Amino acid sequence: MDAPKLQVKLFSDNVDSSNLEKFIPVFHRWIRDHVLDELMIDVADYSHVHHGPGVVLVGHASDYYLDLSDGQPGLLYSRKRQAPEPGERLRDAFRRALNACRLLEADPTLNPRPKFRANEALIKLPDRLDFSNDDPGFDALKREFETFLGQLYAGGKVKLTRVGSNKSPLSVRVVTENAPDLTTLLNRVGGPINGSS
Amino acid sequence: MTAASSWKEKLRERMPESLSREIDIFETQIELRKAGKIGDKMFAETRLRKGVYGQRYDNGRRHDGEKTQTLEFPCGDLTKGPETVWDAPGMMRIKIPLGKVTPDQLDVMCELAEEYSDQILHVTTRQDIQLHFIHIDETPDLMRRLAAVGITTHEACGNSVRNVTACQYAGVCNEQTFDVTPYAHAAAMFLLGHDDVQDFGRKLKPAFSGCKDNPCGLTTFHDIGCIAQVREVDGKPKRGFEFYVGGGLGAVPHPAKLLEEFTPEEELLPMMQAVCRVFGRLGEKENRSRARLKFLVNKLGIEEFTRLVKEERTKLRPDKRWTAFLDDLTTLDEKPLKPGSELNAGGSERYKAWLNTNVRPQAQPGYSCAIVTLPLGDFTPDQGRAMSDIAREFTNCSLRFTVDQNMLFRWVSSGDLPELFARLDAVGLGQSGAETISDITSCPGTDTCKLGISSSRGLAGALRHHLSVASDVPAAAQSLHIKCSGCFNSCGQHHVADIGFLGVSRNVSGRRVPHFQLVVGGQWTENGKNYGLAIGAIPSKRVPQAVDRLTKAYAEGRREGENYRDYVGRVGKKTVRQLIDDLTQVPSYAEDPSFYSDWGDPREYTTGDMGVGECAGEIVPFVEMGLAASERELFEAQVILDEGNAPMAAERAYQAMLHAAKALTRERNANLGDDPDEIVREFKLHLCDTRLFHDPFVGDKFANFLFSAHGNGTTPSSSSTAHQRIEEAQLFVEAAHQCYIRNASPAS
Repeated sequence: MDAPKLQVKLFSDNVDSSNLEKFIPVFHRWIRDHVLDELMIDVADYSHVHHGPGVVLVGHASDYYLDLSDGQPGLLYSRKRQAPEPGERLRDAFRRALNACRLLEADPTLNPRPKFRANEALIKLPDRLDFSNDDPGFDALKREFETFLGQLYAGGKVKLTRVGSNKSPLSVRVVTENAPDLTTLLNRVGGPINGSS
Repeated sequence: MTAASSWKEKLRERMPESLSREIDIFETQIELRKAGKIGDKMFAETRLRKGVYGQRYDNGRRHDGEKTQTLEFPCGDLTKGPETVWDAPGMMRIKIPLGKVTPDQLDVMCELAEEYSDQILHVTTRQDIQLHFIHIDETPDLMRRLAAVGITTHEACGNSVRNVTACQYAGVCNEQTFDVTPYAHAAAMFLLGHDDVQDFGRKLKPAFSGCKDNPCGLTTFHDIGCIAQVREVDGKPKRGFEFYVGGGLGAVPHPAKLLEEFTPEEELLPMMQAVCRVFGRLGEKENRSRARLKFLVNKLGIEEFTRLVKEERTKLRPDKRWTAFLDDLTTLDEKPLKPGSELNAGGSERYKAWLNTNVRPQAQPGYSCAIVTLPLGDFTPDQGRAMSDIAREFTNCSLRFTVDQNMLFRWVSSGDLPELFARLDAVGLGQSGAETISDITSCPGTDTCKLGISSSRGLAGALRHHLSVASDVPAAAQSLHIKCSGCFNSCGQHHVADIGFLGVSRNVSGRRVPHFQLVVGGQWTENGKNYGLAIGAIPSKRVPQAVDRLTKAYAEGRREGENYRDYVGRVGKKTVRQLIDDLTQVPSYAEDPSFYSDWGDPREYTTGDMGVGECAGEIVPFVEMGLAASERELFEAQVILDEGNAPMAAERAYQAMLHAAKALTRERNANLGDDPDEIVREFKLHLCDTRLFHDPFVGDKFANFLFSAHGNGTTPSSSSTAHQRIEEAQLFVEAAHQCYIRNASPAS
């Protein structure tokens, strides 16, 4: 897929949008301890903004958001630059998003531990030069999405729906009925990512 | 899918030729810098003039709370300025003249925040928009997309004429003399890229106000401030401006001085041009900390500066643009979408609260202005698009960013207010409290600014929550203004707040503790007429408690109709100080480590190895004692000034500097005595000549305050010079703290 900028969001039912502060030290620790295998730079707190980007772990090539957009908390992974080869981009984005969810779910300092849903995701392409949020824009990518998601969900039935207005970046909601757990999904896209910590 | 392969190609027909060319040149300069064919200082100024700014950690280093780590950016040694790594994310400042933005422009800025930034648009105290965490390689396309909707980032930063700001109510205000919009707009367009503004030693900020009494234009602390005036000339009303120069906040605030009581409208632009010429020719170029226009005006005196400007005016080559805009002053007038209507009573309590604080009637019957409260000046692209849609549907007019970091809808048919509120509320923008105590202004501070000392945004967020949710603010205190700056550069405009805070740090038993200096009694009204004075430094985490006490005392102790400035003036700063005295104490780290990290940032504020060595342990208490003595002296100077004894106040401020200088110098010369000549001489030898006292950003500026006061011999006698001496002493003492911290802790 020719989309260097790509976002994947996985939703959570138990992240309390009024108490995102607890994720700030976690992200700082990820920077300090090089928990991820990429250069992370800073943590930005936007928890005061209604349905905003929440708390952001800002990196050089990617950002990780405890995102509140649309009033649906979740972990949003955003590839900004240094994208992998076109055929690898979706897989890589899902892998990094799932990996971050795995780390948060296992973090002993978070109480209650956040839980992320495996049966639903949002794919966004924040690049209006090449991708518009309309039916032709969606149709041009649908097949590629279906192929990848078919592998991710091992042939389970997947429903893709374009969402948002045509002013928004191309956004596609992914829903499947029989999703395995996050760890299984993560293993299907390459397994956990370990930093140098 | 679109056919164009680049934004340049896609937008070619939609960009003004001149802007398109400028952006192409900038893109070329980027490539030349990458090829090593432009020096980094030259490139730094080049990008700054395009609004491409640095951001915290762009030197490639970051302290993680335990140690400083190197950020291994892939660009290697490539820099975009001295000590500025190419790949490090930066800030993009988008210059919005008068804060006036169309719905289409707002939509594009929202797209940019989504595609290049971190999903947030930030309104500044000068009506700009800032996007953070931007990679420089993406800035040319970002600029093209702005250019296609008529926005340039040119001269948004750098040594240039910055954004021209103006009262957001211009044209619809009940109290304006006339609408300054066409004049401010003409000035912005005229000065943009003008030959006479290319040779400044520092930036120059102009502002326009439609009246003298309200705070919207804030002309008092701008380099050029123009206040609308009408005079009768030959029996006819004639428009013009009270023309002020040399105002500024920064480390030492200067109120603007009157250059001309009435500058006729046709003389506005040539007078601005003449000021720019004089500033460009005579302004300081070497010492950047003395290079703003205010220093030139002070150095020359307003009479001489005025004479030079008027002389320069006679030498200017006539320019049609000086008066062309006067041919039709209505071209920027906004036509409302709907007829005016009456506001109906009723609605929810939430709506009524919003109506009470966020809505004001326009001068035009049947229309209202509605303020959208933006917490910390932030909003999301979704919220931005919602605001532009609302503007299209309700007003078909521009929106305006405000100096309070909010957004303003104008020309709302008053009967539509309930529906407009409902639409705003649906996207989380229905918060009441605009221009009240909980509507706190803040600069970026340590969140993203390289100069930030303490987390002003963190504090503002904490106070905002505290004052709107947790605390029961007395009704009398609801209208107070709180403003927070992360350092002495005053971007949060704390000097003109009723209650202001500026970020400082203190050393407590070898650990660094974030503090905020409390400044009270500034005046927001009358264009930010008066500046407050410092009361004392409070640990960051105790600031909300301090605000509770200050507001409670004001509510209980004020006289009928007495504003905060007058109240503080009456009870005296000593009384105010007593209110917070116990809060200035910092518990030990073992007792409460939370004091040793800043708001919203769990990293330990201090370095891990500070105060560990025995040697430091022995010296530190002596130095701290001396520094504490200097702070006491300084506070007393303020009290004495309040009592009307300016010469004595100035003398005490000088003594405060001597105390601090001695405290630091004695570490290097144990035989140091009390003779002022000796202290100053030895201080110069051991701390200035060695550059130990040099501030990383302003060099020897603060040391020169001491030398100047010492060299003057005779004590200044006027209140204003004593006030300035106190301000300078405050900065000197603060610099002494920083010097002590730097030299006590190699890691910091």
